[in-house]
Amino acid sequence: MVPRTTVPSATPSAGASAVTVRVRHAEHVMGTVVSFDVPVSARHDGSLDAAIRWLHWVDRVFSPYRADSDVSLLARAEVTVEACAPEMAEVLAACAFVRDLSGGYFTATPGGQFDPSGYVKGWAVERAAALLAGAGSADHVVNGGGDVQCAGGRGPNEPWRVGIADPFRPGRLALVVAASDCAVATSGTAERGSHIIDPHTGRPASGLASLTIVGPSLALADAYATAAFAMGPARARDWTASLDGYAAFAITGTGATWHTPGFARHIAV
Amino acid sequence: MRRAILAVTATVAGLVALLSFKTHSSSERTVASPEPSASLPPGERAITGNVANTAYGPVQVQVVVATSKIVKVNVLEQPQSTSRDLQIGQFAFPKLIGETLSAQSARIDSVSGATYTSGGYIKSLQSALDNGA
Amino acid sequence: MATAVGPRALLAAIAAGAVAVLALWWHSTLSLAGLGGWLTGAGEILGLLAGYAVVVLVLLMARIRPIERAVGADQLARWHAMGGRYVIGLISGHALAITWGYAVTAHTNPVSETATLLTTYPDVLMATIAWFLLLGVGAVSARAVRRRMSYETWYYLHFYTYLAIALAFSHQFAVGASFTGSLVTRFWWSALYLVVAALVLWYRIAVPVRDFARHQFRVAGVRQESPHTVSIYVKGRHLKELAAEPGQFFRWRFLTRGLWWQSHPYSLSAVPSDELMRITVQGIGDHSAALARLRPGTRVLAEGPFGAFTPVRTGRSVLLLAGGVGITPLRAMFAALSGTVTLIYRASTWQDIVFQSELDAIAEARGATVHYVVGSRRDFGADPLSATALRQLAPGLHRMDVYLCGPPGMTGSAVTALTQAGVPRRRIHYESFEF
Repeated sequence: MVPRTTVPSATPSAGASAVTVRVRHAEHVMGTVVSFDVPVSARHDGSLDAAIRWLHWVDRVFSPYRADSDVSLLARAEVTVEACAPEMAEVLAACAFVRDLSGGYFTATPGGQFDPSGYVKGWAVERAAALLAGAGSADHVVNGGGDVQCAGGRGPNEPWRVGIADPFRPGRLALVVAASDCAVATSGTAERGSHIIDPHTGRPASGLASLTIVGPSLALADAYATAAFAMGPARARDWTASLDGYAAFAITGTGATWHTPGFARHIAV
Repeated sequence: MRRAILAVTATVAGLVALLSFKTHSSSERTVASPEPSASLPPGERAITGNVANTAYGPVQVQVVVATSKIVKVNVLEQPQSTSRDLQIGQFAFPKLIGETLSAQSARIDSVSGATYTSGGYIKSLQSALDNGA
Repeated sequence: MATAVGPRALLAAIAAGAVAVLALWWHSTLSLAGLGGWLTGAGEILGLLAGYAVVVLVLLMARIRPIERAVGADQLARWHAMGGRYVIGLISGHALAITWGYAVTAHTNPVSETATLLTTYPDVLMATIAWFLLLGVGAVSARAVRRRMSYETWYYLHFYTYLAIALAFSHQFAVGASFTGSLVTRFWWSALYLVVAALVLWYRIAVPVRDFARHQFRVAGVRQESPHTVSIYVKGRHLKELAAEPGQFFRWRFLTRGLWWQSHPYSLSAVPSDELMRITVQGIGDHSAALARLRPGTRVLAEGPFGAFTPVRTGRSVLLLAGGVGITPLRAMFAALSGTVTLIYRASTWQDIVFQSELDAIAEARGATVHYVVGSRRDFGADPLSATALRQLAPGLHRMDVYLCGPPGMTGSAVTALTQAGVPRRRIHYESFEF
C-alpha cells in the first residue's frame, strides 16, 4: 500500500484576520496520483475519506488493467451491461454522447478494445469533488493526474490558479488559468509519449503537443480534450470553438499557441 | 518607360520618407505607477501600466512584483475586435507570459497537464505543490 | 487643346486629395518599428492611395460636363490610361507588402500568412479576386493586346473594373488600420465613393436619357460625300439648349439592329441649328457601310457635347490645318470663326477631299483663304507641310492661333513644323485620341 501524504497549510483569506486551515492530500489510485486541496473540515467530517474510497471503487470497477473489473469482463463479453454496476450504463451513455458530438474522435473502444478510461478518470474526479461539496466544502481542488476540478476559489473573489504544464520544458508552465467552479483538463504527449491514438487512422495523433479544455464538468472536459487532441490542430480548433460552455487552449508541435475566444477570460497570467 | 521608372522611384521615395518619420516619433510609453492593492499578500506590489493607445486599440498590462521579481502579469486590456488583433494576441501574450514563469514564482494551486503515472508524479510540479512548496 | 487652366486645376485637386489621404495614414499611425512594421506601413499607404486613386480614375471617365469642357475628353482618357497602370502597381505593391509584413510580425512564412489572410480575414478573398480582375483588365488594355480585339470587346471587358471596385470596397473597412477604429473616417471615405458613384450614374446614364427624351434625336438623312465618307444629318428639338460649340463632338448610338450596342465619337461637321446637326464619318468596313445605310427616322442616343477643341476668341488671325478626316471639326470652325482665317486641307488624293464646294463658298463669302494640299509625299518630293511651306501658305504664321486636326502621324509632324516656324506651343490647339 502506497503511503498517504497529508500536509496542512494555512491560507490567509483576504480582508479578514481569521485563517482557514486547509489540508493537502495525494492518493495513489487508478494508475496515477489524485491530489486534494480541501478545508480541514473535510478531514473531520469524513468527506475526504469518502472521496478517496470512491476513487478506489472506481478503480476496482473500471480499470482495464484488472482482469476482474467490470470493464475487462465487458470487454471479453463475459457479462452484460445490466449485470454491471449501474454507473456503467451512465458511463456508456456519456461516452456515446461525446463520440457522436466529436464525430467519432472520442471513442470508448480505442483500437477495438472496450476501454472508457478517457471519460472515467475525469468523471471519477468530478464525482469525488461533488462528494466534498455535498458535505459542505465551498472551496476545494481535486487534481486527478493532471485533470483538475475546482470549486470556489483560494479566497473571496479570488479564483484558483491552475498552471498548464509546458509540454516542451518539464517543470515549467506555459500559462496560468483562473478557475473558479470549473474544470481544467489537458491532453498531451508530455508525460506518457504519443499515447493518444486517432481512432480513424489507428495511429498516434500528431500536430498538437498539448490541448487544454476549461468548462463546468471535468468528465466532459477530459473527454473533449482527448477527442480534440486526436483530431489534430485544424479540426480541433473549429470543433472546440463550437462547444457550448467549454473553451480550449492548445500548444502545437512547433510551439505556437492558439485558443478559442471563450478562453481569454480564463487567462490569469 | 521613363515615366514608369519615375513613378516607381517617386513612390518608393515617398514611402521611405513617410515611414522613417513615423519610426523616429516616440510611441506611447507606459509609465508604471505603484498602486497599493489590498488583496495581495504582504511583500507584493501590483503595478499597473498606463493604457497604451496603439493603432489597433488600447493595451494595458499589470505586473505583480515580489522582492523585485515579477510573479504575475495581468493583461487588463488588449485589442480584440479584429482578426488581426486576435491573431497577434493569441501568440504574443501567452508567449510573453510563459517565458517568465516558473512554477514557484507563479503562485499556482494546481497543475494541469498530460496525465502522469504514479512514478511520473514524484518528479512533477504537482508533487512539489502537494508537499508544501 | 483647351486652355492650360483646366488641366492644371484638375491635377491640383487630385494631388490635394492624395495629400489628404496620406495625412489620414499619418494621423492614424502612432509609430512603427522593425521590418514587419515598415512593410505593413508601406502596404497601408499603398492601399489607401489605391483606394483613392480608383475613385479618381472613375471620376475622369464619368463624362462630367464641366470637367470635359475644361480639360478635354482626349486628355482625360490619356490620364486615365496612365493612372490605370499606376493604380495596378499600387494595388499589387499593397497586397505583397501587407502579406509579407503580416508574415514577419506573426513569425510565419509568407505562404502560410497568405492562406491565413485569404481564409480567416474578412473580405480579403473578395479583394484578392478584385486585384486579379484589375490585373486582367490591365493586361487586356495593353496596346499590343487591344489592337487585336474590337473596340467594343475591350470596352465591355473594361466594365469589370466596376465589379472589382465593389468587391474590394468592404475589405478597406474590415481590415484597414486607418478605418477600423474611426467611424468618422469610414463616413467620409464612404461619402467619397457615394458621391463619385452618383456622378457616374447622373452623367453617364441619367443625362443621356434625359437628353434623348428632351431632344428626340432622329436620323434625318444620309449623304455620301465621297467614296469613303458619308454625312449623317440628325434632327431634333431644342438643340440650342445643348450649346454645342464648333469643334466639339458627341458620342452617337444609333438605335438600329447591328449598331445599337456601339457608341462612337464623331465631331459636328457644321454649326448646329436649333433643329439639325451634321456629322461626317470616314472609314472603310462594316461600320461605315452600316452608317451609310441608316434609314431616316432611326432614333439616336446622342451624348454630349464633349471636347475642349473649340476656338478661343483672342482676336488673332487663325490657321486651320486639316489632315484627311480631320476636316470634320475644322469645317464647323471654319464657318463659325470671325476675323482672318486660313484653311490648309491636306489629303492624299482628290477623292479624299470632302465639302469642297462648301469650303469654297464659305471662303468666298467671308474672304477667307483655302489651300488644298493634295498628293503623296513622293509627288511633292518633300514635306508639303514643312515649316517653310507653312510660312509661305500662311504669312504671319507666328502670330496666329493654329487649330490642328488629323491622323496621329500628321499631327505630330505638323506640331514640330509649326514650332519650327515660330508658333508658340500654347497657340497650337489640337485633339488627339490616341492613348
